[in-house]
This record gives sequence, structure tokens and C-alpha cells, in this order.
Amino acid sequence: MSLNVAVIVKLEPDFSEGNISYNADGTLNRAETKSKLGAHSSVACLAAFYAKVNYGANISVATMGPPMSEIALSEAQSICDADSLHLYTDRIFASADTLATAEVLKKGIQKMKENENENNNGIDIIFSGHRASDGETGQTGPQTAWKLGYPFFGNVIDYHLNLKDRVVTLKRLVVLNGMDNIIEEIESPLPVFIALDPSYKPSFTTLSSRLKATIFEKNAEKKVANFKSYLKMFDHNSLELDPKEVGLSGSPTIVYKVERIPKGKMNRKAEIIDGRDRNQIKNIAEKILILNGQYGRS
Amino acid sequence: MEDFDVIIIGGGSAGLAALKHISALGKQAILIESGKEIGSKNVSGGILYSKNKEYGQVHNVEDIYGQKFLEEEPYERRITKYILNATSKDKVCSIDLTSIHDFQSNFGCSVLLNKLNTWFAKEAQEEAQKQGGGIVTGVHVKNIKWNNENTPIELDGGKQNSSTYDNSLIVETDELEEFRSRAIIAADGVNSEIASLLRAREKFSPDQLYQGVKVVIKLPEEIIEKRFEIGPDEGAAHLFSGDISLNQVGGGFLYTNRDSISIGGVYHLSSLLENPVEPDQLVNSLINNPLVKDLIQDEVPIKNIEKNLSKEEQTKKSFTISKLIRTWNELREIYYSPKNREKTIANGKFKSIEEIKDKINTTRRRLVEEFNTKFVTNYVELEYSAKVVPDGKRCMMNKPYYKNVLFVGDAAGRGIFLGPRIEGLNVGMDDAVRAAKTIIKYIKNNLTDPNIGEIYSQSIHESPYTRDMKKIDKDYLKVLLKAVKKIPLEDLGAKNNFLIRCMSNDFLRNFAVSTINKVGFYKFLSFVESPKIYIDIPILLAEKLGRKINTSTKFDIPELSERISKLKYYEDNNSHIIVTKPQIEFMKKMTVLCPTKCYSIEDQNVVIQHEGCIECGTCSKETSWKHPRGEKGIFFKYG
Amino acid sequence: MIENKKLSDLEDGNNSNSYHHMLVIIEVVDGVVLPVNYEMLGEARRLMDFFNKQYNSNEKVIAVVLGQNIKDLCNELINYGADVVVYADDPNLRYMVNQTSTKVISSIAMDKDIISKISPDFVNHYKKPRYMFFAADSIGRHLSATVLAELDSGLASDVNKLEISDLEIKHQHKTKGNALKYGKVLEMYRPDFSGFLWTTILCLDNKNPEIRRDFHPQACSIIPGAFAPLEPDPKRKGQLIEFTPKFDKKDLKIKVLNRSIDKDKIDFDSFKIVISFGKGIKEFPEDNIKLIETLSKLTGAEIGISLPLSKKIFKLDEKINSKYMIPGRVIGTSGRKITPKIYIAIGISGAIQHIEGMKEAEFVIAINTDENAPIINECDIFIKGKMEDVLPVLIEEIKRIISPLEVQAKRK
Repeated sequence: MSLNVAVIVKLEPDFSEGNISYNADGTLNRAETKSKLGAHSSVACLAAFYAKVNYGANISVATMGPPMSEIALSEAQSICDADSLHLYTDRIFASADTLATAEVLKKGIQKMKENENENNNGIDIIFSGHRASDGETGQTGPQTAWKLGYPFFGNVIDYHLNLKDRVVTLKRLVVLNGMDNIIEEIESPLPVFIALDPSYKPSFTTLSSRLKATIFEKNAEKKVANFKSYLKMFDHNSLELDPKEVGLSGSPTIVYKVERIPKGKMNRKAEIIDGRDRNQIKNIAEKILILNGQYGRS
Repeated sequence: MEDFDVIIIGGGSAGLAALKHISALGKQAILIESGKEIGSKNVSGGILYSKNKEYGQVHNVEDIYGQKFLEEEPYERRITKYILNATSKDKVCSIDLTSIHDFQSNFGCSVLLNKLNTWFAKEAQEEAQKQGGGIVTGVHVKNIKWNNENTPIELDGGKQNSSTYDNSLIVETDELEEFRSRAIIAADGVNSEIASLLRAREKFSPDQLYQGVKVVIKLPEEIIEKRFEIGPDEGAAHLFSGDISLNQVGGGFLYTNRDSISIGGVYHLSSLLENPVEPDQLVNSLINNPLVKDLIQDEVPIKNIEKNLSKEEQTKKSFTISKLIRTWNELREIYYSPKNREKTIANGKFKSIEEIKDKINTTRRRLVEEFNTKFVTNYVELEYSAKVVPDGKRCMMNKPYYKNVLFVGDAAGRGIFLGPRIEGLNVGMDDAVRAAKTIIKYIKNNLTDPNIGEIYSQSIHESPYTRDMKKIDKDYLKVLLKAVKKIPLEDLGAKNNFLIRCMSNDFLRNFAVSTINKVGFYKFLSFVESPKIYIDIPILLAEKLGRKINTSTKFDIPELSERISKLKYYEDNNSHIIVTKPQIEFMKKMTVLCPTKCYSIEDQNVVIQHEGCIECGTCSKETSWKHPRGEKGIFFKYG
Repeated sequence: MIENKKLSDLEDGNNSNSYHHMLVIIEVVDGVVLPVNYEMLGEARRLMDFFNKQYNSNEKVIAVVLGQNIKDLCNELINYGADVVVYADDPNLRYMVNQTSTKVISSIAMDKDIISKISPDFVNHYKKPRYMFFAADSIGRHLSATVLAELDSGLASDVNKLEISDLEIKHQHKTKGNALKYGKVLEMYRPDFSGFLWTTILCLDNKNPEIRRDFHPQACSIIPGAFAPLEPDPKRKGQLIEFTPKFDKKDLKIKVLNRSIDKDKIDFDSFKIVISFGKGIKEFPEDNIKLIETLSKLTGAEIGISLPLSKKIFKLDEKINSKYMIPGRVIGTSGRKITPKIYIAIGISGAIQHIEGMKEAEFVIAINTDENAPIINECDIFIKGKMEDVLPVLIEEIKRIISPLEVQAKRK
């Protein structure tokens, strides 16, 4: 039984020291800063790789972004031994918010259904990372899922498939303020959209599956050397997208202003107090209770 | 349960050689390594030797990996110059011992183990995958048990009917479901957990071990060649004894790599326990030696960030400077390396060498003028590491097996200390091939022959390396004396002088050596490996005969904490060390001798201070010491 | 008919005829309303009070609750500021499964029957809510995205400041470069990825005739702890409306098989104040821990430790060890990064690894004997002294302030 999975990834600036560069005005210098496959995206690729090794999945990786985003696709391929790479690139896609991005990804994934191998009944699982580290906030995944009509599961830490019944069982980590963390185990028929928790690790539990994984890893290495032959590019025409629905035109939200967060949190200057001075300690007691909302007004 | 013929535990040079050899002979074998990647937990001094076969059957690196090893050069440099330096303060007496280096060897090359083992792994993996085997990393073996514990097993040649005999093993790991194997090669290093688990041998005691501590230093390729007066295909090794050893038995070493330097010390653990010195201080004393200073110094940029800026601004500025410094470094790496130069010009990034030079200068100027960066004479450390080294003559396993588990290399306590020359990598690789051959022979019989261990043991005893661990070679002594002869020894005192003259006589020497070997070479160790030979004589030599080296260079040697903070760890919440005897003297000394100061004393109890452990095993004898779980713990980039 | 209206009408935001009220999506987990929901209700109340006064209108704060046996919780939501509570009580809603929850919430948002019960005047034109709030947590983040995909509008996530205002916008796409007035805009502030900047997100209708499209509701997810809840008022009156959800058979095949508590994690995020201790407790570890426990009880704090302590370096009662000396409590690079309002570091020297975990705290107090300890550069108040001396005094002073307050509260 065939299994088709798609992975949505993103190219992100490398924020580590020695790679990141700032303009004179203190804003990020995107041209000088190296970019790479986002950390959360790599986790999504690992999940797809698990599907490849354990269930023989056919993997397509997709990203929306400028042409240089092909770097992210090749890095993704080296992780998950992807069979095809899809780059959605078009000037009019630029500056899209999550809804407009989801519109592009929806069409792209629908196209995969049409384009991939014949005995194909569509994409069974879409994987994405938890979020991007450069501003996007984990909404693109769920919105793409919704537009495609796929049930969405976020913060997934483990999953297994029953290919015969086409059912997935998965575990997700639910973090709620004021509650203990919950691990929720869910069963759902395919297809599904899975966003991986950052803590996800593929759970190869047998030596033979680990061995098998090394063979796929090696395949991936070979493929990546020639990743462009796996790469397909799409613009709004080939995706049959209405220009009104994408990019800035299709985005409900705009960034209205950017301002410095007042109060230089990072610049502390300690007031030094003698621990023997009861009066001072009394002031601190008050200060704690006021800040804590137990006393007076904050 | 899954079944496999052969499991190799440990992905060091020895384990990989076993995998390569078994696979090359057409059988399936699987190597299990606990590190996140192959090579990430391996440290060596280090020189890898190839032994001349005139002196006995050995399996050298080029036999195992073929010509490819010589063509692709996963090693650093072939050592062509081997010099012993006796030191005392600013005086150094250098003795050319290249003949010692060449003794019975085809070649010896400096190596960085991460790179070397990664290359070995690539070769071995390819071969293994053809047979359905391979390498699995990030898996830590925590227990081995026999499938049928009730089956009586007689060691040492007990005869059993092999058709009814089931000696298959069950391997338990932290990460995977249990699996079965018919034979195991334990190549899990000097702190072999498998050996402890099976009680195949005692944990090595301080007397049997040396502690090696090393830093890898960055130095551009052609600068190395100029400094050490070597060609592009040559390498230099410097050994040190004398005051740099801070009164410890052992010595220092400095090896040239392709574009880095390995520098460190190897000291007898008994000596260190007797008179504890911080291991990093031993490295520092070597780095501070004037000869070494001259050899390793380089131009180093120092970041300078105005303190009156907000922290946010400081961070950003610091990041921008880091980026520039990185560019400057990368350009130098290109400029000083013929291969890199060619490549960069070929791919059109630069038109000419001059253009690279220009770019280096403009980057440097920008750093100085725009960012107030200072360039000083200093040196750059890349990595701090440590391991303990087994002294084979004191600790090699007489029977390096337990049932159908065969121990190789460090795990079997097999290392050679030939005077200043230390060999371990090649020994382990040779052992591994012997283990592989034994197993291949028995694979036909389903590996059920209870004699498998004994057959392997016999093969090991035929190894010339075993001979080197057991006996003094009279020819070696002759070569050594010949080398030393060039220096006027009259000044060393009548007693020493007399001894050397006696030993220089072929007849007397041969007689002495054969007597010693007959009585037992190890009985004379305290005489040979004494403070007198390792410390007093070299100091005397340096003072009487040494040349004075003037240097005004002042190094900014990093604090230990800085060295530790540069290392890469994958934190494990489960501690892999448990202090079981918090009050004994040994543990108290560990607060000094642990190379990363993992221990401190709280209320007269030794406690683990932090988990900056680099898994050297110095403390292993008296602690409950295990390797961290799969993928966890230290990750050496150079090794 | 919007198409027939003149542009000047659009400029006034007249199409807001179709969009009314503020929907606050409540999360009930195991029969408990999460604290962040009360904070959201508080902020919704403040904003809508302002809105109704400013625009002389009568729009409501509508809490939406899904779950099983949740009816009893509804009054509490009114006490905390909701005008209306719409609840859907069904065994299939026992857990917040994204697929079913999204559909039920979206149906509620567009249900004209509900609107006719709340405000019959609006019902003819009503299309969708004006504003919507979700919690920025594992449930709400995803739910906000899918609900807004269904309602075809935009949202900002992880918001920590909100304002409603009338703005003049000049935007290449939204207004075709013309300066146009947008009324009743929700300004949504969120800290950007660098942590240095605040980005204000607006969700605006496309008034540019070429790409004309409405984007309502204006929605966001709200960071827990960003806003204060109102003092609950049991006398507040409100309307309860039951909604009977319909389910797609297909969606009911998604089943929650099992739920378990992940005990490893200490929930630092829901505490305003965190008190950590380090090796400085060494002289009298057990006594000092008792003092720290007392202080934490008085202030409602959670307790953290520095890394070395998790290695159980002191000989302590096993109860204390298993409660405190655990990796889950470690603050720092190899533990948790936290951002409480107040952080009290007791006997912690401030190794760089530890600083990484707490430097985002709003106000930091350190108690330490050593003025050269690096923590001094990372705190707002440094109390120089032995914790054995300082803590009892601090506890005494806090008690002295609190106890009369408690007596007052009881009298009320």
C-alpha cells in the first residue's frame, strides 16, 4: 500500500553568532546573513524520514519563498531522502501573511496529488514544523490544513501508522498555562496534517529499522548532489492561483508599525542592599508584594 | 527478536576495521556506536603507524582500506621529522629521534580522529551495506546476556558438541529493542563497559594507565610548513620532557596536522595520583615553553566592544565583528593552502592569489579601523580533549575474550609505549582484523564453537605488537642509543655515562636485554619509567647542552572554564557517573586530576560539580562510571 | 448591498454593519477554565466598555465554551466580564479536538439565531464577529488559525497589548495608495522574534476596489499572563445561550484514546514569581530550603534550582531530593528559560548558563554573600548577606504586610 507524504519547510536566517549580520541601524541585514533550513523544518523532515523508512513513503518537500529557498529544499532532501522538491516562487507571493501563504501551499499540495505517480490517491500526511523562528507563528500549518480539509494535529511528539486501515495514532504534547503538561494520544483516519513538536525524534526501535535508515540516509546523500533534478518550480500561473488571493493582496493583516519595546530589559544596574538593614528588607518585601499584585497597585 | 551474526560494539578505529574486514570477506556485521556520529567520542595523541611486515604478520591501515587510504589522505601529515626536546626554563636541548620514529615502520602519520574515523566509517559502511550490515550510531549497549544462561560454558578449550550448543547473546541497549547476536567484538575503548559488565577483566588501575590531555591549535597550512621547516608532504613531531612535565613521569608532545597543531601531555596516572597536578596546567606548561611559543604563535584578532553601549547594541556589534573575523579567518585558510587557493580560483570566487590577499587586508583594515579590533601575537585553541591510554605491557588482557565476546584494542588494554613512541591505533586495528578473521572462520558453523575466544587469543599472541608489549627489543635499544650518541654525554655524570657506554656495546646490551626479558620486563619498569629518566636527566641535558631561546611573546592562555565552554555537549539528564566512595583519597585527588574539574569537595564528600565530563575515564576505577546514553555527552569535533 | 455604496461610506467602515461583538474562546480542560481565559475576558471587557462608550453602541463580550457538562462554568465567565455565554455541551466535545472545535466555533460565530437572541437589531446584516480572542497556548494557537481560515480573515498571534482606534491608512494594496479612514481597528501588539521590537499587526478589509474583500473578524491569540483578570463580580448579570452542535460523521472518527500527565515539567510559566536557589544553601541546606518554601508559599511562587543542585550534591532527605533536586526545576541553558515578573535568586552565583534561563525576568532580586558574584550584573536588587539571616527577616516583613490584608479580606 502506497503512502504519500508532503513536508512543508521554510528557509530562515541563521541567527547564530558568526553568521548573522546587522545593518548600521540595528535591523537584520538579510542579504549578509546566511540562510538555512529552519530548525523546526528539519524536525518535520525527520518525521517524513520515519515514514519513508518504516512505511516506504514517497516524499515531496515544498516551500514558498524566493528562488534561493531551494537551499532549504536541498537541505530537507538530505534529511528525509525526498523524492521530489517543490518550490513555489513568484514575485507576487512576497510579503504574504499566513492566510495568503496557506492559499499558495494549498494549491501546491493539490497539484502534488495530480502530478505525482499514477497509482496515487493524494497526499496522506502533510508534515510541518512547529513554527518558524523568524516571525511566522505556527499558523501557516493549521491554515493550510484547514483549506485542504485535512484534520490538523499540532505539537506531535510521536506517531505510528496502520497502513491497512489507513489510520494514524499519534501523541501530542499539550502545554497549557496553569496546568500540568498533558500527553494526548489520538487516533485519526488519514489524511492528516501533522505539525511536529520541537522535541520530536523519530522512534526507530529496532536495530534493523535503524540499519534501514542508514541506507536511506546514504541514498539521500547521493540525491542531494543532484538535487536540482528533483526540483520543480511553480508560479501563480502554474498553480492556477488568482493573484488577488496571494501575497499582499490576499493578506488580511499588515504590519502597521514596529517600535522598540520600551524598558531596556537587558540593562540592569543592581541596587546593592545590606542584608542586615531591616528597613531596606521591609521595602523589598513591599516591592515584591506590589509587583506580585498582592498589595497596593502595580 | 531480531537475529544477527556479528555485532561490533564501538565505532573507533578498531571497531571500524573489524566491520570493514568482516564485510570485505562477505559477511554481515553491524557496528553500534553510542556517539551521535562516528568519531565524535574518539581522541588520540596521535600518530597512526604502519608496521613493517618483516617483523611479523600485521594488518596495517593500508591493508585494511587499500591504496585509497594513501590517495585520499584522511590523515593529517606523514611525520618525517621526529625530535625530542629536553627542557629547562628557557633552555632546550633537541635530539633528532627520527630513527626511532622510523624503527620497524613503513610510515607514521599524524591524525585527528574525528576526521580519520569518519573516513574509515564511510569506507566500512559502504562495504558493510553490501552485506546487509552497517553502522548504527547513537545507541548505547547497557547489558549483554546469554540466550541460555543455563548452558554450561567451559572456558579455555572446553569441548562441547557444537550442534547442541547455543551460545547466542542478547544485547540490551538504552535505545532499541533487544536483539540477538552470535558473536560480539567489543571495541568500546579503554573504559570498556562490556569488559566491566562481563567481568572479563578488572577496571584498569592507575598504574596501568597514562592520562593524555590535548589541545588542538589552529595554524594555517603554509605557516606550519615554514615554522617547522617542512615541505607540503612532510610533518614534524616534537616530544618534550624535562621541566615542562611539572615533576610528573611522562612527557609532552606536539604534532603538526594539515592546518592545525596537536599539543598535549601524556603522564603516568600513578605519578599524577602521587603528586596531583591539574591536567590543564600540564598542557599550559608546554604551551608556555619558549620553543613551543615560537612554533605555534599566530596573528589573532581581539574583539573590542565599547562598554558604554546598551547590551543590545553590544550584542549586535559583537555579532557583526564575529562575522568579519570569521571572513578573515576563512580567507586566510584559503590563502595559506595551495589546494584551497586552487579551488577558490577555479570556481571563480577570486581571480588571483593577490585578490585573496587584498581581501584579507581590507577585512583586517575594516576590523581595525571601523571596529577597533586589535591584532596581537597569540595562538588559537580549537578544542580541549583528554583520554586515558592503556600501557599494554602492564595491562593487556592475557586472554582477550569472554565466551564469544572478543576484546580488541584499548578495550583489551593493548597499547605500546616504546620509549617516547606510543602506538595504539594500529594495534587496535590489527587486533580487530584478527578478531574478524577468527569470526569469519566460525561463521560457517553458526558461530557456535565455544573455542572461538581461544582461537582469537592465540592469534593475538602471534601478533608482533603483543611481542612489543612483552619484551624489550634489543634492536630498538640500539637505534635509540645511536641517536643519543650524537650528543656529548660526558656532562651527564659518571654513572649515567657508564651506563650508556655499557649499553652501547652490542654484546653487553644484548645480554642485558635478554636477561631482562627472561626475568620479566615489567619488573624493571620502575627503574626505566622513573622521575630520574623522565625529569632529572632531561633537565640536566637542557641545562648543560641546551640552547637558550629568547621570546618576548606572551600568550593569553584560556582558563579551563573557557576551554570547557567551547566544547560541544549533548546534555543527558541521567548522570553517567555516580560517586560511590565520596570519602576516599582517590576521589579527593580527582578534584584535581579530572581534566574538566567535574568534582569538588562539599563537607568532606566528593561530589560531582557539573557534567562537563569529557569521558576520559580518569576517575572510572573508583566510580560507577558508564558511557552516557546514545547521542549524549561530549561531542569532539577534532578528537 | 455593499457594492452599491459610495466609497465615502466605506471609509467610515460602514460595512461594520455586518460585524458585531467580541467573541472570546474559552478553553475548558478537565472541567477547569484555564486562567488565561479570565485574563482574556478582563481585557475584552475593558476594550468593549471603551468601544461602547466611544462609538455609543452596545456590542457584547461573548464567551464561547465547548465541552461536556460545562453549563455550571458559564456563570463564572459572566462574573469575570462576559455579557453572554454561548455554550455547546456535548460528549463529542469533551476534549478540544481541533477539527470538531473549529467547526463548532465557526458555526457559532456565524449563527444568526444566536445573534437574534443577543441583539435582534443586528440580525439582518450580521455576517461574522467583529473581534475574536483566543489563548496563545497549545490549543488556542492552532484553533485560532483554523477558525480564521474557516472565517476567511486574519489574526495576530502571541499578542500582549491591545487598543481599539480609528486610523488613517495609506497602503499600496489595502487602499491602493490612498489615505483612507478605518474605524474601530484593533491594534494588536506582539513582541517580534528578536525580542527587541514590538510589531503592531492590523487586520484590515481590502478597500482597494481591484481586490475588494472584507477581512473580519479581527482576531488574535493572547499570551498567558499578559493581561490581568477582573475582580469576579457575582452580581453581574448575563445571558446564557445553548448551542446544539452538529457533527460530521467523518470528524467523529478522530478519537482521543488516552491522556496522561507529563510529570517531568514544572509549570513555571503560570507563576508570576519564581524563587531559585543554588549552592549557597550549603551551610544549612534543609533549613534553608524550609525558609525558601515558606517564602514561596507566602508569595505563591514556584521554586527553581541551579544546575549543580540537580546532581544531588547535598546529602538530603530523599523527599526533599525528589521534590526539588530534579532536572525539571533547573533554570538555565540546560534547563528552562523563564520570564516571570519577579525572579529571586538565592545563593546563586550566576553562571552564564543560569543567566540565560532567567535574564528575561522583569524584576530580579539576588541574595548572595559575594558582591563579586556575576549575578550582580543581572539583577535589579542585590541583597548582600547570608540567606540564613536575610530570609527570616524578609519572611517576617512579608507576613507583617499580608496578615492585615487577609483579615480585611475575611471581613468583606
